[in-house]
Amino acid sequence: MTPAGPRKTAAYIGALAGLGLILAACSSGADPANYPEDDIDVIVPFSAGGPTDTVTRMVAEPMSEELGVQLVVQNVDGAGGTVGAGQAATAEPDGYTVLMHHIGMSTAPALYDDLAYDPVADFKPVGLVTEVPMTIVGSPDFEPTTFEEFVSHIQENADTVTMAHAGEGSASNLCGLLLMDALGVEVTAVPYDGTGPAMGELVGGQVDFMCDQTTNTTGQIEAGKVKAYAVTTPERIEALPDLPTTAEGGQPDIEVSVWHGLYVPAETPDEVVTQLTDALQVALADQMVIDQMADLGTAPVAADQATPEAHATLLQEQIESWGDIIGAGQGG
Amino acid sequence: MGPGYVPFALGLVLAGLGVAIVVKAYVAPDPAPGEAPADARANDSAVEDAPVDDAPADGGAPSGRAASDADVLDPRPLAGIQWRPTVAVFAAVTFFAVTVDGLGLLLATFGTGLLAALARRGTGPVRALVIAAGLTLASWVIFVVLLQLRLALVGDWLGG
Amino acid sequence: MDLLDNLALGFSEALQWHNLMFCLLGVALGTAVGVLPGIGPTATIALLLPITFGFDDPTSALIMLAGIYYGAQYGGSTTAILLNLPGESSAAVTAIDGHQMARAGRAGVALAVAALGSFAAGTVATVVLAVAAPPLARAALSFGAAEYFSLVVLGLIASIALASGSTLKALAMIVLGILLGTVGQDLNTGTPRFTFGVRELYQGLSFVAVAVGVFGIAEILRNLHDPRSRTRMVSRVANLWPTRAELRRIVGPVIRATGLGSLLGVLPGGGHVLASYASYAVEKRVSRNPGEFGHGAIEGVAGPESANNAAAQTSFIPLLTLGLPAHPVMALMVGAFIIQGITPGPDVMTEQPALVWGLIASMWIGNVLLVLLNLPLIGLWVRMLSVPYSVLFPVIVVFACIGTYSLGQNPYDVLAVAVFGVLGFVLIRAGCEPAPLLLGFVLGPLLEENLRRALLISRGDPSVFVTRPISGVLLTLALIALVVAVLPAIRRKRDVVFAEDE
Repeated sequence: MTPAGPRKTAAYIGALAGLGLILAACSSGADPANYPEDDIDVIVPFSAGGPTDTVTRMVAEPMSEELGVQLVVQNVDGAGGTVGAGQAATAEPDGYTVLMHHIGMSTAPALYDDLAYDPVADFKPVGLVTEVPMTIVGSPDFEPTTFEEFVSHIQENADTVTMAHAGEGSASNLCGLLLMDALGVEVTAVPYDGTGPAMGELVGGQVDFMCDQTTNTTGQIEAGKVKAYAVTTPERIEALPDLPTTAEGGQPDIEVSVWHGLYVPAETPDEVVTQLTDALQVALADQMVIDQMADLGTAPVAADQATPEAHATLLQEQIESWGDIIGAGQGG
Repeated sequence: MGPGYVPFALGLVLAGLGVAIVVKAYVAPDPAPGEAPADARANDSAVEDAPVDDAPADGGAPSGRAASDADVLDPRPLAGIQWRPTVAVFAAVTFFAVTVDGLGLLLATFGTGLLAALARRGTGPVRALVIAAGLTLASWVIFVVLLQLRLALVGDWLGG
Repeated sequence: MDLLDNLALGFSEALQWHNLMFCLLGVALGTAVGVLPGIGPTATIALLLPITFGFDDPTSALIMLAGIYYGAQYGGSTTAILLNLPGESSAAVTAIDGHQMARAGRAGVALAVAALGSFAAGTVATVVLAVAAPPLARAALSFGAAEYFSLVVLGLIASIALASGSTLKALAMIVLGILLGTVGQDLNTGTPRFTFGVRELYQGLSFVAVAVGVFGIAEILRNLHDPRSRTRMVSRVANLWPTRAELRRIVGPVIRATGLGSLLGVLPGGGHVLASYASYAVEKRVSRNPGEFGHGAIEGVAGPESANNAAAQTSFIPLLTLGLPAHPVMALMVGAFIIQGITPGPDVMTEQPALVWGLIASMWIGNVLLVLLNLPLIGLWVRMLSVPYSVLFPVIVVFACIGTYSLGQNPYDVLAVAVFGVLGFVLIRAGCEPAPLLLGFVLGPLLEENLRRALLISRGDPSVFVTRPISGVLLTLALIALVVAVLPAIRRKRDVVFAEDE
């Protein structure tokens, strides 16, 4: 080897500096002590503009302010939310990829036998966000006017009544399954591609009834374009104070709400999860978030629910109970 | 109606149409030029004797000429296909698909630009490299700087 | 006069300085993303939604987002005409004759006609929106699964007109397109079809990937095989502006297309997709020289472009009057409403008159801005064609890849571009045209979904398709269209007309 001349030395130094830069760039994401330094991707496994997307965008704003970096919503739609969740499961566990998912996280194992991830083992829960109540609504032409009449009507006319839902695995599909399970009837379920078209045909009287989230139904109920029968929560809700609960109507088993939660990949450091949970807590206490959610007939969860522990407990419970209901639906 | 009903029915219809096209080609081959979509275009582009830059003059007896639109209804549609542009363009797009996650936007763009540039006869390696480099820069400016798309510049394989 | 009051309120809102700025920003951004393949309005609006949180005035936010939407519809036709690269289903129709015009050195005329047609249609559609929104929306509600199915059947049969060659091959392409549309999870049961275990295919093939492949990439392969066809389009860019005679020719098509587009746009179940295809079919049918279609007929550009723009505007009707989003872009608008603290629903028009009428007025203003923005750009676009092809086509390939990838960060979409590019090229050489294939691909899922949905609701009784009046009428029309298309005598006559044309 010939001794290096000055020019060569400069080249070496340049190369080393370049390498150093690359290494610095690579390592910056992985240091939990400095978290967060860069924008955070929030994967929403549903299409933009849907209810889950809307909820995510509501909380992403104050969370961004709290963390000092931008939370960027990425819509990774497909296969009832399992494509986006699968992508999040295999993402770098550095806190820069977060998943917002709803109740579908707990129903996917029962609905898909070839699920590429395990909702419990592959993720760490960050906290619950909101529990969106569901409402049972009927088309303007549908005969029954009260929840009691509704129940007896569909029990007597199960073979002619039609129920809309927003596609396999959607919240409205799940609520429908639960309702049929609780009433011991089977009606014709008509799938639509999303909740918007389903609501359109319900308003137009093409189908008889649907069970959907208040985020979609409140506006239509208030305008009197659909008949509202009941809300599926234990208590009446503020946005629709005149609407009775299913329990008041004698059907306490029809209790369901579309809970939303934040997740990170399982190997994410606990410090990072704590920071995310804290930011979520701040966002859920934000008056603007509370107001926006109230307009849609929902509310942020209580502070003790927006924790990894409460989230993990609920997820486990829900996986078990939905496993039974969906299994029963498919068997019958 | 199960999930397979519609695809199965469509498959049968498509097979039937395929048979009909084959039979028609034997019984009554498209005689009128009016039947051929691209033919008319070829006719009017053939009238025009625009200057031809590096038109394929080589490539064996039929293939050079067979490439022109006039031969779109060559009874053997695959016969006149030139392999260099076809393979290079296919490879260019495929390269992007395979490497964009692994190598990141910059290298994937560079490779795709290089392969695509080489698809054209008459573009040498140096010119292709220059095109690919310029293209990488332009893509970065347009998609990353101006449109703010969230694309990884350096991919997973390189530790990005 | 209620209407005048409302419009006055709307214009006073939309003409406020900051709202004008956001409108301009929206249409300019929309045009920019529409021109680039792949990144359509849905992705752009999703990206920009967070920015609009910060706006004090919800009207500004919605004006800007709406501007992106119709601006992108507009921009999409530019690349369709210049490069045969449609970024959206409606632009695929424009590409058929628009690109042929460009190949004949008339790119400027095609672009100008598209702009003028769109503007005229947009103006009329704004009036329709202002005058007739509530009754139209009520009428749209009477469309159920059976009606949509019959409408799609009519659309598919009419689309045989999209092909200028063999009817048989066109039919085969439509069926192949429908088959490609079945890729992915079945809506009724969730069963994956033709996915080969690839989870990324569960949501089906991406429209952009298929369109960019069979149109854009196939076109590049064609040009590389025959450099002569390209040089011509650059060498003779004589006039940028349509002549008086040409303007007279497009008056009829624009009027018909505006009516058709305005009506179809209102249907929430995908009517707007049909608008440009339907207009093309109608124009070809009423034209005295249908043989020109497919080879650069100016009506084939003016009609679909006008229909598309009219439908884009009236597709706001279900949203504004019923709170129901007609397609993904409208769903995003719902999201924007909610985030601005407005519950979208049937009451939004009475509760937020300034916002709704401001939005409506801004659409007309946006159309004016689009014309002002784009007419001067035509010269620039056309000059882009004189970039040496050895540089231009790698740019198209790379932009198509990035654009398609950025849609869903899904490399399989890019792979589909490669496969469909080569397939499209082979098909063109075999005399099979890609436009019917693309239409089948877009309408196929609607056809299947509504067929199965209608039969579910009727409990398997197929008579609903003829006993429901609207559905029955549509099917009758479809039957007539089919008879006209295949009747041998008429075919022969058409061929004669065609031959005279040559």
